[in-house]
Amino acid sequence: MTIATTLEERRAIAETVGKLLAEESGEKRVRAVMETRDGIDRELWSGLARMGIAGLLVPSRFGGAGLGPVELELVAEEIGAALACTPFLSSSVLAAGLLTASQDEAACARLLPGIAAGTTIATVALTGERGSWQPVDVTVRAEGTKDGANDGAFLSGTASYVMHAGVADVLLVAAATSDGLGLFEVASHGAGVAIEALPTFDRTLRLDRIAFAHAPATRIGGAGRPAIDAALRLALVGRAGEQAGGARRIFDMTVEYTKTRIQFGRPIGGFQAIKHMAAELLLEAESATSAARDAALQLAQDHDGADEAIDLAAFACADAFAKIAATAIQMHGGIAFTWEHPAHLYLRRARAYSYLLGSSDLHRERFLTKISAQSHDGSVAP
Amino acid sequence: MTNEDLRREVNDWLAAHWRAPGTIIQSMWETNAETRAWHTKVFEARWSVPSWPVEWFGRGLDDEQTNIVIEAFAQVGAPGTGQDRFNLPANTLLAAASDELKLTLIPGLLKKDITTCLLYSEPSAGSDLAGVRTRAERDGDRFIVNGQKVWTSGATVADYGMLICRTDWDVPKHSGLSFFFLPMKQAGVEVRPLRQITGEAHFNEVFFTDAVVPASHLVGGLNRGWRVLQTALAYERSSMGARARGSRHGAADDLVALARAAGRLDDPLLRQDIARTVALRRLNTLNNARAKAELEQGTSSSIMSLGKLAMSRILHEEARVRTAIIGVESLLAGETQPTADDVNFLALNAYFTSIGGGTDQIQKNIISERVLGLPREPELDRNIPFKQVRSG
Repeated sequence: MTIATTLEERRAIAETVGKLLAEESGEKRVRAVMETRDGIDRELWSGLARMGIAGLLVPSRFGGAGLGPVELELVAEEIGAALACTPFLSSSVLAAGLLTASQDEAACARLLPGIAAGTTIATVALTGERGSWQPVDVTVRAEGTKDGANDGAFLSGTASYVMHAGVADVLLVAAATSDGLGLFEVASHGAGVAIEALPTFDRTLRLDRIAFAHAPATRIGGAGRPAIDAALRLALVGRAGEQAGGARRIFDMTVEYTKTRIQFGRPIGGFQAIKHMAAELLLEAESATSAARDAALQLAQDHDGADEAIDLAAFACADAFAKIAATAIQMHGGIAFTWEHPAHLYLRRARAYSYLLGSSDLHRERFLTKISAQSHDGSVAP
Repeated sequence: MTNEDLRREVNDWLAAHWRAPGTIIQSMWETNAETRAWHTKVFEARWSVPSWPVEWFGRGLDDEQTNIVIEAFAQVGAPGTGQDRFNLPANTLLAAASDELKLTLIPGLLKKDITTCLLYSEPSAGSDLAGVRTRAERDGDRFIVNGQKVWTSGATVADYGMLICRTDWDVPKHSGLSFFFLPMKQAGVEVRPLRQITGEAHFNEVFFTDAVVPASHLVGGLNRGWRVLQTALAYERSSMGARARGSRHGAADDLVALARAAGRLDDPLLRQDIARTVALRRLNTLNNARAKAELEQGTSSSIMSLGKLAMSRILHEEARVRTAIIGVESLLAGETQPTADDVNFLALNAYFTSIGGGTDQIQKNIISERVLGLPREPELDRNIPFKQVRSG
């Protein structure tokens, strides 16, 4: 991967996306969309697709923008700041990333142009009921596949915590085969597929459980594991960007509020009790942004340390967003305890994204495993 | 000059002059013959302050080219360059002093011929630094100084003290302060070592009894010392955010190695704690790098002011985790117990960063006011003549 854009171009992309979201995905709109059955803003999604955001990661020969992790992260900051209800992470990052990494030309040609155009929504089923997003947790099995004979497979078993499966046209499913994890394309409305919406705590996010009962499936690519890892790397960078952006937005809103809320005859932002909370949160917000951007940069440049940087961003951004969103409510006081105030929307998103695609504990453990391997052979001290 | 030419020039120069060192000291207040000799060479070749103007000992390089020089020195492990970024007294002088004083002191500072100490805090002016009561009174072409300073590192050896003191008692506190470079080696200056909680005595109390400072050593103008002090403090804080002292025996700096040595690297709870703490240090490095990049891109960066607060948290968190790793061994201390000694030392020395250079609480005030634009707390002493301000 590389960085195809200049700093100026990236600023322009972020600004254009930010402007569209400010106009089309304000709080009122987000609240309206999150109460709908599907939970996604199709109008907004068309607008983003026209800008090339739906196909951001899709190679240009398949109709996409052909951009990489650095641009992905910047766009994700904007999307996360607005809590935009779109299938960006599920379809444009996870699914597009998985297909591209599968190196299955036929599948890419079949699916990526639609994903890039925003006319096809694809999602990825990677985890079972335990929701750890680790390969051991895949409980869907493929039958009727042999080495080299990819057609005529059937999937059985359950996948859970699948983003936007209810609105997806195509499901990309990780399933156990006789030769390890494989990837399969399944029509979301096909035979043997039962999609059940999960009641989500974060209403801007839709998750589903999918029960497969001898569902006809088409195998994609060869070994599934490398493609899954590649897609998860991108998705974690996207998640980190959304978290950093969301954290920054609720933080800015909170600081502004403390300048206007008057108690004891002066703005509450003038009390050191509030100021100190704000200063601590600024450090958290900036650290999240630094971590997300560094992970994106390292992945874009294929650095050896990219996985470590992604692990770090995964837990640092999740924890920072959760802390900032939670503290923001306390700093606001009673007003933020109401449904009408947007602070809880950010807290809900922060809590949801702390577990979606893997917990902070998991990523910390992975991070430590990597740095302790280095410190053991004496190469790099942390 | 192209970047390539510059890289060649600095590398050639280093190849011709840099030899593996005996002991070169990189400290504001200590020096030795070898340190002086090397820094003089660097100064004469104009590598000390590459970004400074040509008329002031530099080469007028931009940030990118300055980085090339700094990286070339770092590659061979040679000190002396990049003083335009960290030499606190020299930068303060360049920003605020008269040309005469710059010429008198800056070369010696860059060559490490002259060492300095900071005469800021007083027993009754800690966090409230603008409340200092050490006084300087004009006497012809000199000032006479009386009063007391505290927490002064290196005062026993320093040639000059960077002194903030009161020169006008009839105006509000920030408006009556002046900043001097005071010669330390004189009869009117008495230095008494102060023993710290670590058992070391790096700090001192400094007493002035009719000490003399030439009027030409006034920096930034009479009663305009507060602004000069802000420049100096910004340098100090940014360096405290980038670096901190390690352990005395080097036995406890690396948390992973410490846990492995203690046979506890497989403890899942400890692993989480270690990862969290190592991450804090990484994040600070990333923040500092981003701050630098944003400055180079011409974007103003709010991150710069966060480093010291971040480092304070890092040091205290690391100390907590180290203690958890060695457990009961932390009951011990002394030269025969290097690991426990390091762990205990670092736990106590963490306060150096969370109190020194402005406490965490003062830092948070500064960040919330200057970066976030939150209002100041009302101050009872802000707009009255200083002589009416309550003390105690």
